[in-house]
Amino acid sequence: MNRQDNNKLGVVVSGSLSQGIQARLDSNTSIEDVTVGHLVTIQGNTRRFFGMINDISLETTDPGILLTPPEADEVFLATVLQGTTTYGSMQIVPYLTLGGDESLIEGPQPVKSIPSHFSPVLLASEADIELVFGKEGTRNFFIGNPLDMQVKLCLDLPELVTRSNGVFGKSGTGKTFLTRMLLIGILQTDAAVNLVFDMHSEYGWMGTREKASPVKGLKQLFPSRVSVFTLDEQSSRERKVSTDFVVYIGYDEIEPADIELLRQTLNLTDQAVSATYQLRQRFGQKWIEKALALESDGETEDTLKSLNIHEATFQNLVRGLNIICRLPFTLPHVETRAVDKVLEYLQSGKHVVLEFGRHGNIAAYILVANLLTRRIYTRYRENTEKAMAENHPQPKPLVITIEEAHKFLNPAVAGQTIFGTIAREMRKYNATLLVIDQRPSGIDEEVMSQLGTKITCLLDSEKDIDAVLAGISGKSGLKSVIAKLSSKQQALVFGHAVPMPVAFRPRDYGSAESYAQFGNASPDIKEDNLDDLW
Amino acid sequence: MAIRGDYMNEASSRIAEVTQASTAGFFAQCYELFDLPPLGSMIKCRDGGNEIMAITCNARTSSLEPGRRPIARGKNELTEEDVFRSNPQLEQLLKSEFEAVVIGHSANNQYHHYLPPRPVKLHSFVYVCSPDEIVEFSRSLEFLTLLAGARTELPSEELIAACIRFIGACHVEPAAFTTLAGKKLAQIFTDDYQKLRTILLRLKL
Amino acid sequence: MSLDLNRVAGSIASMASELALQGSRRAEALNAALSKYYDPGDLASLKQRLARAKTSWLVAEIPGSLNSRFDPPPPPADYRVLATDGSQIDIDRHHPARCCLINIGSVSMQYGQNPGSFLESEPILLSKTDELILKPEQGTTGREVSIEGSLLGIKRTAEEFRFLAALAGRLQPGFPALALVDGSLIMWGLTSKDIPDFVVDIMLDKGVLKYITQIEKLNSSHPVALASYISFPRSTDVINLLRIAVCPYQIPDCDRFCAGAANGERPCDAVDGVNDRELFWACLTEQQRSDVFISQSRISKTRYGCNLVYFFYLKTGNEIARVEIPEWVALKPELLAITHSLILEQCRKGHGYPVALSEAHEMAVVSGADRQNFFYLVDEYFTGYKLNTSASAKSTSKKNRWI
Repeated sequence: MNRQDNNKLGVVVSGSLSQGIQARLDSNTSIEDVTVGHLVTIQGNTRRFFGMINDISLETTDPGILLTPPEADEVFLATVLQGTTTYGSMQIVPYLTLGGDESLIEGPQPVKSIPSHFSPVLLASEADIELVFGKEGTRNFFIGNPLDMQVKLCLDLPELVTRSNGVFGKSGTGKTFLTRMLLIGILQTDAAVNLVFDMHSEYGWMGTREKASPVKGLKQLFPSRVSVFTLDEQSSRERKVSTDFVVYIGYDEIEPADIELLRQTLNLTDQAVSATYQLRQRFGQKWIEKALALESDGETEDTLKSLNIHEATFQNLVRGLNIICRLPFTLPHVETRAVDKVLEYLQSGKHVVLEFGRHGNIAAYILVANLLTRRIYTRYRENTEKAMAENHPQPKPLVITIEEAHKFLNPAVAGQTIFGTIAREMRKYNATLLVIDQRPSGIDEEVMSQLGTKITCLLDSEKDIDAVLAGISGKSGLKSVIAKLSSKQQALVFGHAVPMPVAFRPRDYGSAESYAQFGNASPDIKEDNLDDLW
Repeated sequence: MAIRGDYMNEASSRIAEVTQASTAGFFAQCYELFDLPPLGSMIKCRDGGNEIMAITCNARTSSLEPGRRPIARGKNELTEEDVFRSNPQLEQLLKSEFEAVVIGHSANNQYHHYLPPRPVKLHSFVYVCSPDEIVEFSRSLEFLTLLAGARTELPSEELIAACIRFIGACHVEPAAFTTLAGKKLAQIFTDDYQKLRTILLRLKL
Repeated sequence: MSLDLNRVAGSIASMASELALQGSRRAEALNAALSKYYDPGDLASLKQRLARAKTSWLVAEIPGSLNSRFDPPPPPADYRVLATDGSQIDIDRHHPARCCLINIGSVSMQYGQNPGSFLESEPILLSKTDELILKPEQGTTGREVSIEGSLLGIKRTAEEFRFLAALAGRLQPGFPALALVDGSLIMWGLTSKDIPDFVVDIMLDKGVLKYITQIEKLNSSHPVALASYISFPRSTDVINLLRIAVCPYQIPDCDRFCAGAANGERPCDAVDGVNDRELFWACLTEQQRSDVFISQSRISKTRYGCNLVYFFYLKTGNEIARVEIPEWVALKPELLAITHSLILEQCRKGHGYPVALSEAHEMAVVSGADRQNFFYLVDEYFTGYKLNTSASAKSTSKKNRWI
């Protein structure tokens, strides 16, 4: 980009706090160099304002020119008109102000006034970015660079994990990379422990990359601090992943509430779902076994009658239960419960990534994630209440990462799942969610509004964009920014963990330098060492 | 901004004398018949220690005596010069005069691009401005506003374009000056694009 | 309610019809005149009869031939033409200031290699007593005469000649020159019996003639001619000459032979009603001049000496003009040739009238506004010197036309 030394873009000519500030580009600023999403500062008389460009337009002082625009060979005419009769205009949403009494002590404040006429608009400088977003440090994690800038943009991660958050974007836009980076950040800043339900085995050991070699996962970078649990031992072994535990789920661990969440996935009828509760009540913990056994017994009819369960309903239910039981990682009974193991690791401060291997189908994912989370959350709640009562230190904050979040949090089920509960209860019990999704319009509105910070890559459905921005003030300004993000390596972050929304290019991940930059990165584990782990 | 006064000492740059004057403009009669300054050129008069700058906006050669009018005399002459040779009294009976629009003045050795407090005096000598003076004066383009507002017989588009062409030719880089002048005109004629276009099409880069 | 044109239109109409009626009569007279002009008979005996004729009209004298016609010689390559003209503001009886103004326009034109021109006008204020009053010389008798009215016109003419002589005196030697005035060389105004001789002496002998002689003297170094140009002449000198030729009596004596005859009954009336202009319009071709004749006017014959007034008629293309020249021009072929060719050139450049004369006239003319401004200026100065500026009641009433 060509700029004058002082980075001046233009001057404020009109606008309002609600609609945004309109600035006219200087005649020597090329409109083609101005991009939606750029951060700018406005130097008012007494205050400085920070904002983001969210719209650009072509204007003219005389509509007559539109009727007889310059011909192709009237170069001189076009040159003269540019910046004078025809000029560029940009709309800026101001977010922060600096310069009143309070900001000297507390830093930039949310904007409540607007700059005066003809205040100069400048590109934000590196110093400005560091002032607003903080310098890289123990709390501030470097997540990337603001668009077309070299300065590091940092996110306050301990602050981030005080609420549930979301990462959104069309498929292929880089959600996984972003999530991976956030997880590393949480790990590095010691903001929380992570429990990641890794549906496509992207986070634990290795991640895929389009048209390039795979990238390292969390465990490769932080072998001593990250543990990989697997549902598919064979797959992990084939992929030479170093795992710490193989997860099996016993039938006796599964509760009717877990089945309820799988209603759509297993194609169960409402009656079938209600029947599970009755069966559980009747048969106790081993109800699934018993229910399945019922089928082969001849006593089915009577039992069903006594339970008031219709035959067809029962069949429907049995079919669904069989699907579950056919899952390779389900067994009638497991000695060491996965839940306990997970909790053990979490409480010791270790991050847990549960990869699903070949079982990355949605039914397995929903079942396992829900099941484990429910129990873990219950334990967490107990521990927290106990610690509060006895005035002990509270358990370490937990961040639960789930993908395909709309399956767990759609309006139909959001009220019932544990994830909905966690989202609503915020950090009451020291557990928050990190939801990853490509169809945010499928997520319950109330849950979305509970998310503190959202990072979104390109979304092209207007419904999705509206969903992501629901409840945000000034969303019209951000809408155009989101719609204009590149399909790769560009994202917008906004919410409680950033002073103002900012569009940025996520930091590089996958090259040797990038690995080295993540402190505590351990040397590569050679492939031939892997077998030893097994 | 220093004013170069030495050019005025050259007798050759004195070309006319003011015969009618008001604050915004004046008429002057040339000493030499037909030696009229070109349209849009910059000229100046003195007012005490200061100078008043103007742009020529209209010129004509006509009879000295209001009641007498020139008639065609060259039917049997070979060339136009022969008309004057055969009728030597014509030069005594004609006058060349021009009108000028005031576009600024100097005071305290500085140029000001607004009207002077007093008009030029009758019988002030009119001098041609030197290229250096013209370049110095045209550092600020505010005079174009005065020129644009002048009420003259000539269409103002022709006058403004002629003036910019003339001043541009005095600059080392005419194209750069012409572009700057064009942008200033775009500001002045911000709601009259057709007029702006007419002027710009008469400028050459 | 000034001039009621409606009431005078009838009279104008009858005048026009009268003239038309006379037209055919005049055509006969012209034919008679022409035939006599072409065939006057024996010239020598005609000249004798002319010398002894006793008539009341002015008859031209024939120094050479009667009916020769001359084509113009080519004009010189480099030459000068001078002309002066004047106008005046007479004494205003109703103004307290006793003064009058003469304005003389002078023109000097240079043609040829280095064309150039000089045009000037000079006003002369006559206010002192000796300027306004002419007194006879000490020792002689005669009443005082004040310069106003027609005498002011004569004074003006004298000044025109003075300026012309001055212009001629400043000529660069080496080039032929022609000095022109408008009107007649003969001071008809001085022929009136009311004018005392000393006035004629001042105005003519010590005035006009003195200046003409000054111009003549310049001929010692280069040819300088002098002529006066009369446009649309009404003179009948030559027609009267033809009357003599027609007259049946050997020695014409009008009183003796035709005393009681009314106009139209006399033999010479065959050529009556026609003037010289009409005669020569018929017989000259364009650019030709007639023979040179001598004017028999008394004042010319008695007082002009070597400046005796000759004249010829010239067909300029637009009209017949009467050109009057002093003897020293008429008798010198070079000067006569210059006069003929240069007057034609001047008329060509001036679209029918000598351009030097018309420019001199323009320089001299005093418009009504000029006249008024002159008196305003006088009033201003009078006020400045605290002199009385009040005008007469009559002039005031003329200025303010009230109802």
